[in-house]
Amino acid sequence: MPKKKPYIIDITKLTIRFGDYTALEDVTLGIKRGSITAVVGPNGSGKSTLVRAIIGLERITSGTITIDGAPITEAIGRIGYVPQRFSFDKTLPITVQEFLELTTVCRKKEHCKSDSIEHVLDLVDMTLHRQKQLGSLSGGQLQRILIARALLHERDIMILDEPSSGIDAAGERDLYALIKDINASQKTTFLIVSHELDFISKCADRVICLNRRLICHDTPEKALLCEGVANLYGPHIAIHHHHKDGHHPSHHSHAEG
Amino acid sequence: MLPDVLQFAFMQRALFGGLVIAVLLGWVGVYATSRNMSFVGAGVAHASLAAVALAILVGWSPLITVIIFSILLGTLLYVLDTRTSVSRDTAIGILFSAGMAVGILLLQFHDGYVPELMSFLFGTILSITQIDIIIVASIGTVMMLFLFLLRRELLYITVDPDGAYLSGMNRTAVELFLYISTSLAVVISIKLVGIVLVSALLVLPAAIAKSFATSFSLFVRYAICFSIFMVIFGLVLSFYADLPSGASIVLLGTVFFLSARLLTMK
Repeated sequence: MPKKKPYIIDITKLTIRFGDYTALEDVTLGIKRGSITAVVGPNGSGKSTLVRAIIGLERITSGTITIDGAPITEAIGRIGYVPQRFSFDKTLPITVQEFLELTTVCRKKEHCKSDSIEHVLDLVDMTLHRQKQLGSLSGGQLQRILIARALLHERDIMILDEPSSGIDAAGERDLYALIKDINASQKTTFLIVSHELDFISKCADRVICLNRRLICHDTPEKALLCEGVANLYGPHIAIHHHHKDGHHPSHHSHAEG
Repeated sequence: MLPDVLQFAFMQRALFGGLVIAVLLGWVGVYATSRNMSFVGAGVAHASLAAVALAILVGWSPLITVIIFSILLGTLLYVLDTRTSVSRDTAIGILFSAGMAVGILLLQFHDGYVPELMSFLFGTILSITQIDIIIVASIGTVMMLFLFLLRRELLYITVDPDGAYLSGMNRTAVELFLYISTSLAVVISIKLVGIVLVSALLVLPAAIAKSFATSFSLFVRYAICFSIFMVIFGLVLSFYADLPSGASIVLLGTVFFLSARLLTMK
């Protein structure tokens, strides 16, 4: 049996241009299998472009992205994705149930192994909204449904683009607990675009800081001190370490000043 | 004893053809309107004047010619919309007028009055032949079968094209199917409703159904029912009142639409 590479996602010299505008330039990094990686950076730094490129939704100008050593197209179906903005026709009469049932459309049978809709709706506390129309949901409720949909199948990789936008503080805590839980139980690799310092420090194993180029890629303790991240969150970030239940090291941080 | 309207062979053909067309346009219209493709129907219908004129000029079957033309046009529109920076509006606008211009030019080479042209432009019940019915029913049945088999995929690309791609389904094939089926559904209906008005049959049933539907499955069912109602009653109205069939169907549908909006107004 060939040994699996430590990096599930390998990005080499990635450049993406939209006309004259360079969204990402010469980015090289690897995402470890089973890790939770946060992607941070100022607005327009190429975070969403990077995650969309990983799932094949952006045209790559130069460089390569591979998933388990294979082109992205071969990994489609193994990746769950929650977009930053989900735009759809809000007047379209489609229920939450019908929307979630769509994920049973799969090219390969192994991608169709699904959890029950009841279970994922329960996980995101949306059970009562099952027969509601998708267009009638609030921004936060829609976000929960998108997360539920991504959780409906066992995926090797989950890419979440600002998943906590529109979700209240309690919902945010539940979401992060859920991410940790799935990561621990299913060894799912998470790549999460987030501005939430609390999430980065408590949840992520690695932090990628972008500003069209790769500024740093390190553990949260080191990455939060690197220049790009310090500029983003303020110069006085402090990180406190503590261990919870004797296993996963957990971090706490706050921005001062 | 059959009612008056069913005693004539031409009305039997029109009603049967109308039924097939109503189901097809009502069904396809749900996806076309939800994906903002309503004007694909209008564009293809008007551009098909080129194929009608060519068929009249060289003596081919106009219906078969427009069917082949619509498949090519649907494919071209798909390519322009998804593979180039040309917007869908622009592509339709160009093909719409270019097709009509070619049609008008070709008809310049035809001597004398062309009665068949009027039936294609405005739709008449009398012009539908037995052969037309066989063609419409055959194509309609095959398309309905595909619409049924691909119903989930079509909904997926309608609601969430990126999610559809990530599910691993062949999004290109499903989108291309939608473009071609929209084009085909429109052109096989032009003898009954006419080039000028046919796209209304793609839009109106879905627009009426949307007022009442609380789920997507109901949306499809209601659109098909309203479409059948519009076409059958429009044809009966045109028979008894001696009105053009296309105009009767479209005006009846417009009255239904306005009534539905008034009824569901909050």
